[in-house]
Amino acid sequence: MKTIVNGFEYFSPKTLEEALKMLSQYDSEEKEFKVIAGGQSLNLMMKQGILMPECLVSIKGLSELDYLNYDAKEGLKIGALTTHRAIETSDEIQKNFKVLVEMEHNVSSTETRNYGTLAGNFCHGDPGGDPAPVLVALNAIIKMASVKGERTVPAEEFTLDYYETVLGHDELLTEIQIPVIPPNTGVYYTKYSQILGDFALASAAVSITLDDKKEKCTDVRIVLGSVGSTAMRAKKAEEILKGKKITDELLVQAGQAASEESDPTDSVEASEEYKRELVGVLVKRVGKEALERAKKA
Amino acid sequence: MKREYSIIGKPTGNVDGAAKTTGEAKYCFDMSLPNQLYGKHLRSPYAHARILSIDTSEAEKLQGVKAIITGKDVPGGKWGLWRRFRELCDQIALADDKVRFIGEPVACVAATTKDIAEQAIELINVEYEPLPGVFDPLEAIKDDAPLVHDDFENNINATRHIEWGNVDEGFAQADYTREDKFTCFPQAVASMEVHNSLASYDKGSKRLTVWSSTQSPYYLQLGLADALKMREGDIRVIKPHVGGGFGGKNSTMPDSTSAALLSMKTGRPVKIVFNREEEFISTEHRTGMHVALKIGLKKDGKIVARECKVITDGGAYTGLGATALYLSGIFQTFPYKIPNYRYDAFRTYTNKVWATSVRGFGATPTVYCAESQLDRAAKDLGIDPLQIRKMNVMEPGYEAPGQYKVDSCGIMPCIEKMEKRIKEKWPKVEENEGIGFSAFAYMSGGIFNWIDTPYAYSGARVQVNIDGTVDLFTQASDIGQGHNTVSVMICAEELGIGMEDIRLHPADTATTPVDLGAWGSRETLMNGNAIKMAAGQIKQKLVDLARAKLGENIAYDLVAKDKRIYLELRPERGFSYYDIVRDAIKLNDGEPLIGTGHYTPHNKGMISPAYGMGIMAIKAKVDKEIGHIEPQGVLIVHDCGQEINPLGARGQVEGSVHMGLGYCLCEDMPNDNGMLLNPSMNDYKIVRQRDMPQIELMDVPTYEAEGPFGAKEAAEATIAPTAPALANAVFAATGAEFDSNVLKPEKVLKAIRAAEAKKAQKK
Ligand SMILES: Cc1cc2nc3c(=O)[nH]c(=O)nc-3n(C[C@H](O)[C@H](O)[C@H](O)COP(=O)(O)OP(=O)(O)OC[C@H]3O[C@@H](n4cnc5c(N)ncnc54)[C@H](O)[C@@H]3O)c2cc1C
Repeated sequence: MKTIVNGFEYFSPKTLEEALKMLSQYDSEEKEFKVIAGGQSLNLMMKQGILMPECLVSIKGLSELDYLNYDAKEGLKIGALTTHRAIETSDEIQKNFKVLVEMEHNVSSTETRNYGTLAGNFCHGDPGGDPAPVLVALNAIIKMASVKGERTVPAEEFTLDYYETVLGHDELLTEIQIPVIPPNTGVYYTKYSQILGDFALASAAVSITLDDKKEKCTDVRIVLGSVGSTAMRAKKAEEILKGKKITDELLVQAGQAASEESDPTDSVEASEEYKRELVGVLVKRVGKEALERAKKA
Repeated sequence: MKREYSIIGKPTGNVDGAAKTTGEAKYCFDMSLPNQLYGKHLRSPYAHARILSIDTSEAEKLQGVKAIITGKDVPGGKWGLWRRFRELCDQIALADDKVRFIGEPVACVAATTKDIAEQAIELINVEYEPLPGVFDPLEAIKDDAPLVHDDFENNINATRHIEWGNVDEGFAQADYTREDKFTCFPQAVASMEVHNSLASYDKGSKRLTVWSSTQSPYYLQLGLADALKMREGDIRVIKPHVGGGFGGKNSTMPDSTSAALLSMKTGRPVKIVFNREEEFISTEHRTGMHVALKIGLKKDGKIVARECKVITDGGAYTGLGATALYLSGIFQTFPYKIPNYRYDAFRTYTNKVWATSVRGFGATPTVYCAESQLDRAAKDLGIDPLQIRKMNVMEPGYEAPGQYKVDSCGIMPCIEKMEKRIKEKWPKVEENEGIGFSAFAYMSGGIFNWIDTPYAYSGARVQVNIDGTVDLFTQASDIGQGHNTVSVMICAEELGIGMEDIRLHPADTATTPVDLGAWGSRETLMNGNAIKMAAGQIKQKLVDLARAKLGENIAYDLVAKDKRIYLELRPERGFSYYDIVRDAIKLNDGEPLIGTGHYTPHNKGMISPAYGMGIMAIKAKVDKEIGHIEPQGVLIVHDCGQEINPLGARGQVEGSVHMGLGYCLCEDMPNDNGMLLNPSMNDYKIVRQRDMPQIELMDVPTYEAEGPFGAKEAAEATIAPTAPALANAVFAATGAEFDSNVLKPEKVLKAIRAAEAKKAQKK
């Protein structure tokens, strides 16, 4: 019942260096601060009184982090301030990473996508977030920085638990790197929500790589969203497909395996059992589309 | 003679559209006064508890806190909308001896800032003795159930019996009968603008002014008078622009009573704005109910009898819920001739926020049940859904004994037009697709006078000034439905002038004649009649003067049109409206021309003077693996009499369909022992613009003699058929039958499987 937005201090550094220094200083002073980018998730948490930081450090002014760079060899580099909308409307991404555009199209409404950043979404660590399963399926690398220096981790290792990531308190996510999609590979993502653009009841991203004859599956990644404490790989389901010629029947089996591996909970919207069943259907359907794409790739 | 209008019937942008679009339009939410304080309620965390003590001393010490009120500070008695029956006036400004739902206000703080007010309520110490609560109407009526109000045995708040014909004989004649049971879940109102009020009390004159987001300034004036023990006339209510009401803003709510009490205590203006969570947990919503329906038909599809039993989940207070109880019995019979009918219903108190009238009230839940049942019967009898409806619909002049009479009635031509159009529009359906139908009808304002007003149901005053400009005064409420535009259109058409000649002064109890407010789709017909009458008086004066000046044969007709007054058959013989006005005022000893109008329905039965009606079809696709329903298109054939503003009518139809889709698919208010589980816009699911199917709207215009220029209702009728048309589409596609609304995918999947199992069993 609380809507208290208690008073807080607000800082907006102009450069990455300045920002990192600020974070390091507040961290050592044990100040309760939060980084804010588009505020699409943080504002809600503050409005509901779940978070009540003494101080906000806005990174919106760090224009050096607002970029999208594509290179045919190096792949895609997405600066931390890139909005959902910028990704959704980029021709280069549409051409080379169509699945990202498809994913973005159903992240909430245009208004939210205009403000919210891909990096902010990932840092928020919501297991219902759409980007995480896709980033994991695409083997993305996450680059972070603090005054102590830079480091990277695979997207798969970035999120630890509900709303918890490997980010240090004084660290910023600076860049999301997505390697070029390997040859003979198809990637697809779908979420299901009764209302378009709503948070998913369950979602699945599947990446399938075929051999040069386009017969057998040499590599596969199946990632589930909204059905666990983080986006999760369905490894048993992957094993069912790996090394095989993928048929509709195998996809059904993979769906069943993923359904068992998933770990959903009851909610107002649907029961655990329903969500498990949904996972099975989604994996089957998304796997089929990924396979078609791999064949055409 | 053929009616040709200059303004009526032409698609017209809202008179306040530009101001609203640019943000210039002021809502109560935007308003503030110098020296204003902010009020905030402390609310009960218990669904049912006795209040043992309230200690406000710590909160009073907080700097910036100017006043705190609790139940003890409320001077007045109880109030409610059912003022004819004082025992049903059960609302109180702040809980006194006990709390009856989670979120019920127990205290209110006025402070210099919102933050201070919010901090202060945390410092108030309330000692409660929790009592067992009751949350389901079927539990509430049991003998050992805890009582929500001590004087109401078995928690029965209101009962209703309706009967005509001989039901038992009717069923005896039937070749086919079936019984179905349904549960209809409640629906939140979720207006864009939350409840909010600004109150300013003048200690010198002992008068109170309240600006509020309300559907009826008059009801609020009466509610405040009862709550504060003041004279109506000492309270002035002003309704600025309002961001939606949908039935949830008819009752006097604590935003206004507490703001008024705190202003009286401090002598400073006080503003109270509910936040979205308060809106969900403490304001009225659509009534949930259990419905048992029995229908009897002849082999050919003719309905011979229907019986219905309803128990509604009323929540803690009465609101307009007792009216919803009555109308639930009435509107499920529309637009059919049911020769033998019996309805027994009661409304129970439960420990939840109370239920009231919400868009299409009375109709939306029971029409869902009745129209779903009709399609099941049609399928069993092997009759086409449109055919079975044609067999049974009313014709003009139909009367349900002792209840209602329907004059203009275009339902049959509507269905015939539907039959034709649907074949062109959707010649075939693919696998997993289906088309569902539902007929509908709704009132153009209610005849019932539970509020016990001695005034006419609607009033208007028109003043024409020397330069021909017009000031139009009426208390009718535009709450977003576009009535301001309709008011001006009707006034302009009647006087034969332009809309730009008219300045509207709406909805201020100190300056405008009483109107009962925006509910039950009443403003166009009732207020439209009052405005037309007021403008008509002046027109008569102008016409008489013009006739005298022309010296023409008394039998010749004059018209006021296009800013002229002239002989109908010889348009060149006439005068400019402006010149005639100038002369008329001179002849009037210099007084501006004033016309007054009023309307109260007479000899029209118990329900409404007129009914909008029609038929709706929805095409839907069902994902049988996931249970997702995708509405693909909506086709409506509509008889709303003469449309005043087709653009506004269309907006109302689309809005109704939108709200109806939410009612059918996803809007749900689950609770755990009285605690609402989804009190936010994140968790309460509302259909969004992207989910909306295409809506094709076709008209079958009739002329309703009781309505202004032949008009009747267009604002609510199309919500009720939306859910059954969609559920019937799913039924057609999959055979799935639903015993409730809120067709979330999991429920749909289960129903599809049950239907498949039933089919397999039959084989
Ligand atoms: C109405 C609504 C509907 C939504 N629906 C969906 C949906 O369907 N699917 C979906 O996936 N998401 C949805 N979201 C969430 C939204 O997409 C993201 O959470 C949002 O884009 C986060 O980005 P931001 O820039 O606004 O982050 P902020 O809200 O500013 O920050 C989010 C968190 O990340 C941290 N943070 C942000 N940037 C950095 C950084 N560079 N380094 C370190 N920490 C950082 C912040 O400290 C904070 O903890 C919805 C949000 C709203 C408001």
